[in-house]
Amino acid sequence: MSLAIAGMGWVTPLGIGVDSVWERLLQGEEASATPISEEFSDRVYSVFRVLESALKYISHPRLRRASPISRFAAAAGLWALESAGLKLEPQNAERIALIFAISNGGVIYTKRFYREIVAKGAQAASPLLFPETVFNAPASHLAAILGVTGATYTLVGDGAVGVAAITMAEALMANETLDYCLVVGTEEIDWLLCDAYRRWRLLRLVPPIEPFSEQNRGTILSEGAGAIVLARDGFVTIERAHPGGYFRRRAEAEKILKRILCDLAETEIDFVVSSANGTFVDDAESEALQEVVPNTLVYTGKPALGESVGAAGLWQIMLAAQALHSKELPPVLHADDTARLQLSLSRTPVPSARRAIVLSCGLNQQTAGLRLVSQ
Amino acid sequence: MDQADRRESTNDPARVAVTAAGVISPLGFGLAETLESLRSAQDCVTPVMRFSVTQCRCKTAGQVSDSRLLASHAQIPRSGRLHRASYMMIQALQELVMQRPEFEPELTVVGTTSGGMSYGERYYRSLIGAGDLRRAPRWIANYPAQKPVIDAQTAFGISAPCRVIANACASGTNAIGHAFECVRSGRYQRVLAGGYDALAEMVFVGFDSLQAATPEKCRPFDRYRSGMVLGEGAAVLALENLDLACERGVPILAEIIGYGISSDNYHITQPEPSGIGARQAMERALESAHISAADVDYINAHGTATVFNDAAEGRAISALFNGVPISSTKSMMGHSLGAAGAIEAIVCLLALQQQFLPANINFTTPDDDVDLNIVANEARPAVVNIALSNSFGFGGTNASTLMRKSPPAPGLPRTGDA
Repeated sequence: MSLAIAGMGWVTPLGIGVDSVWERLLQGEEASATPISEEFSDRVYSVFRVLESALKYISHPRLRRASPISRFAAAAGLWALESAGLKLEPQNAERIALIFAISNGGVIYTKRFYREIVAKGAQAASPLLFPETVFNAPASHLAAILGVTGATYTLVGDGAVGVAAITMAEALMANETLDYCLVVGTEEIDWLLCDAYRRWRLLRLVPPIEPFSEQNRGTILSEGAGAIVLARDGFVTIERAHPGGYFRRRAEAEKILKRILCDLAETEIDFVVSSANGTFVDDAESEALQEVVPNTLVYTGKPALGESVGAAGLWQIMLAAQALHSKELPPVLHADDTARLQLSLSRTPVPSARRAIVLSCGLNQQTAGLRLVSQ
Repeated sequence: MDQADRRESTNDPARVAVTAAGVISPLGFGLAETLESLRSAQDCVTPVMRFSVTQCRCKTAGQVSDSRLLASHAQIPRSGRLHRASYMMIQALQELVMQRPEFEPELTVVGTTSGGMSYGERYYRSLIGAGDLRRAPRWIANYPAQKPVIDAQTAFGISAPCRVIANACASGTNAIGHAFECVRSGRYQRVLAGGYDALAEMVFVGFDSLQAATPEKCRPFDRYRSGMVLGEGAAVLALENLDLACERGVPILAEIIGYGISSDNYHITQPEPSGIGARQAMERALESAHISAADVDYINAHGTATVFNDAAEGRAISALFNGVPISSTKSMMGHSLGAAGAIEAIVCLLALQQQFLPANINFTTPDDDVDLNIVANEARPAVVNIALSNSFGFGGTNASTLMRKSPPAPGLPRTGDA
């Protein structure tokens, strides 16, 4: 049984709404960097933020005290359902499952909550903040807003968790009591995350993200959400989802990516949406792509949208679905033509494209992939 | 062919066996110590020494001994660099691997709520206090929620992809339930399932700030219950296609026969008071197993001992079941959050294997609001063929699994068949 994409919702630093973001990507635009600082450090990082005004008309009592990660997720989820033409009523609320993909979770409230404990002691801890620090808080808010009474799952992992969530959705939808599965990837940024990724030697202080370059200069973190409504029918089908695996050391990532690509490239592939983000991931993916699908067009949206970790996998799938649907690939930004891959360096028509691979290599040992086919 | 492409050739769902298990919790290291603590209804809750609790109402928790944990893993490469949650997962998986060295899962599904949270705390404290940050890369590398299961798999050469479910306190039961469904559907033949969580200051203070944690003894379902105590640990179960396991002559420890999940959407920290969410999860588990409530012999309740949880769960149980013996083993070991469902699945496994009812300790006075058959204070022998395990979490997520005693040989009717 294959599943199809029936609707999508997008909240990104480059804008909101699938058509708007897609058009800007096709035009070669990229998100604007915002400096992010912290009172206890002189170090300033650059991040791609979602504009607060973008979410002003998403309101619900459950979101009044919710962190940005929950609001991004709610907005993307609601728009995905709207684009699928799906209105949830009590009688069909049991027939939809909700799966969230998250990496760092509600880090803003987590830091605020713990800061009070450290500064003033346990008695200063806020009972209002604590529930928002829990990984499944965004999922529980959206479930409550939608009235979902059935299965709700939050998956945690690295950048590959979004694709893994689709694989899990496929397993859930094998149960015929479900008609739909809403999969949401979401992430918010805090200075603390930037600092942690820098200490891991994965972050650069200012843009751009230069994919597949000779030197891995690092990535720029971004925030937002992506949501996909999976159904039995839709405009693009998930033909095969690969559960992936994990690598013990960064140098071993290439091996598992090759395995995923070999499994997914059993049929003719028109393009690959990669997770290249200016880090070691690029080398691993480049080697795997050159060996398994050397003449296939490759696109990465991370230079334009940033590395949104928990949301990244969903964004990649949405990019692939949009490209299959519109028969065009946006330009890969900040890549030079010396890269040994067939990069889509300018806006590229792909009029006969039918199949695409989404390849996801996370920064913390996890990988996954899937293959889409247009109807 | 990857496992996602495997489909069952018939319409009959596969039966799902538990063929090996491993556990570490305040009750003990391994199944034998756990059984001994359960049989003797031991109170394993002790004063918290790991971080300061002077400003907290609650000052106790169920804790795993650090010195013993680290001593167990001195031989592991990079020993001393991992997070405690990783060591607990390694300990639990080691026990499972010793029972079934040949077990090669195609997928791993685990639950957790906080992964290596205490390393995140150290990192933050060092940052704001201009402390020694030389070890920060190690803290950060071991902080992600998925790291302990990857470490454990690495220690034993297991390469299965990992799905890490973070559904708050229901995570462990959700992980086992999802793993059960993966095998039952025929998509997978062997799945490793479980859960882990280690005590962390932030989480401890969080529950304390909600006044969900008690300064007294943890007394689930007691009229004078006053809240939960936290715990920690890890547990894993090897789930396999039962028929295929039997063909290979693999000993079957128990059979998982049903799983139910629901969302009640009432409040982010409180269950819907009537217990509708809990009831739906239990009903769905019964439906999934094709059995009736009368077939259940023992319920391992979520039973956190908070006023609201026990009232809602008690109402749901008394509405569905007629006098089935119930206990919350959290009274003995505390609430280990993402690990709880997995550890309590082990408790059910031992109850089924050893034919006894684990105790709900610190129980003094029945609650007049709910009519429950509590296994008060002492474990007792009983015929236990089917056990139900409940887990409910923040955000209104509810999960129940049903486990049956080691089943009859293949060829006999499946559960629920006429």
